[in-house]
Amino acid sequence: MIEIIKHSIRFVLFLIAQAFIFNQLEIGLGIQLMVYPLYIFLLPLEMNVFLLMLISFGLGFGIDLFSNTYGLHASSALVIAYGRPYLLKLFEPRDGFDPGIELTIYSMGYAWFGYVFGAFLLAHTMWFFLIEQFKWSEFWYVVLKTVLGVPLSLILCVLLQFLFFKKPVKR
Amino acid sequence: MRNLIAFFRRFRIFLFFAFLQGIALTTYFNYLAYPRSQYLTTASSLSGKMLEYHNDIVKHFQLAYNNRKLQYENTLLRKRLANSFIRVDQHSVLINDTLNDQQYEYIPAVVVNSTINKRNNYFTLNSGWRKGIKRGMGVFSPNGIVGIVHNVSEHYSVVKSVLTEDINIDIMVESTGIPGLLKWDGMNAKIGSIASISNDLPVKKWAKIVTRGGSGIFPRGIPVGKIKDFKMVEGKPLWDVSIYYSEDYRKIQNVYVVKNLLLNEQNKIESTIPKDIEEQEDNP
Repeated sequence: MIEIIKHSIRFVLFLIAQAFIFNQLEIGLGIQLMVYPLYIFLLPLEMNVFLLMLISFGLGFGIDLFSNTYGLHASSALVIAYGRPYLLKLFEPRDGFDPGIELTIYSMGYAWFGYVFGAFLLAHTMWFFLIEQFKWSEFWYVVLKTVLGVPLSLILCVLLQFLFFKKPVKR
Repeated sequence: MRNLIAFFRRFRIFLFFAFLQGIALTTYFNYLAYPRSQYLTTASSLSGKMLEYHNDIVKHFQLAYNNRKLQYENTLLRKRLANSFIRVDQHSVLINDTLNDQQYEYIPAVVVNSTINKRNNYFTLNSGWRKGIKRGMGVFSPNGIVGIVHNVSEHYSVVKSVLTEDINIDIMVESTGIPGLLKWDGMNAKIGSIASISNDLPVKKWAKIVTRGGSGIFPRGIPVGKIKDFKMVEGKPLWDVSIYYSEDYRKIQNVYVVKNLLLNEQNKIESTIPKDIEEQEDNP
């Protein structure tokens, strides 16, 4: 029960943060900062894939409502929600995930989080710009935007965890 | 039958994914093609209200700049008032005479949401059809043109800005009158480009670009920008001209919507132009 409330509050906070803060920042060079992939990444591990996709779709559509993109964020959120189980299976630790674990940078370590969440963000951002541009002749421009944007988003998501997530007590 | 059910059971996750993905992509591409759904856009009243609150906070960040701009424009207009002219002889100009019919009216509006870093950028204004805004009207700011109204609701409207791929506003070089079409290549919000200037016409660097007023969307002579440089297009007798926009679209707030009172008259008389026979055969 407490998990449901926690994730509902996070849903609203991530939506507001993405739509009203990070989508309004104009950094230049076509960079867009993405924080809501972090929300999708941190949803419980045991969650049903259908529910996972529905929640991501809702979050993406909510962001679309406020930024005149009409389904672009929903589509890219859906792609990573669909891909998350496969990605986690690929990068599973040797003795599997501990039950009930949350995949934060504290519980999984810097290197693991960097690799896996980096790949997660790369897929998301690449899909986002591919659909937005939708022309093979502008493909290198898509690659440029992705390569510039992903490291910044990754650093931002790590910083967000340092700032707002409690460090679990070591047992 | 059993095989079919087994197929659905096996691929149910992928099918569900494809279904939702279909919904998202159809709304996205539908909106790009025909702007009819207002529920999913910032022109709908709920997200419009939220964006207005957001703008209430953010607008103060550039207050000084915008005030200076408005003040500058006020001084320009004040110079044209009747009481700043001296009468030189009996036959000087009256202000409201019957020789000059009013052709354009301007509706003021404020940009409440804008982006500059997407491939196609749309701006949201805080005025809708209640204030007389219709689809297809032109929008400009004191410094330069902004775009064309794309979608209107009761209190909000969405503007297709000059930072979109196929904006195609007809413009000309101010000094020589050479016409062209405005485009944007998606790279830099300060730089636009002009297509279809034939390369036997002389083009000069830093020449001013203004609107041509040919389609009746904008009055003639609203500033657009200055020519940055021009090169040959390979294999075609055309210049590839790039321009600096005169408006900084990152800071844009106060804009005017153009209402052309004579637009119907212009469309009516232009519809009497006979179509070329070859053209009809090519495009039935």
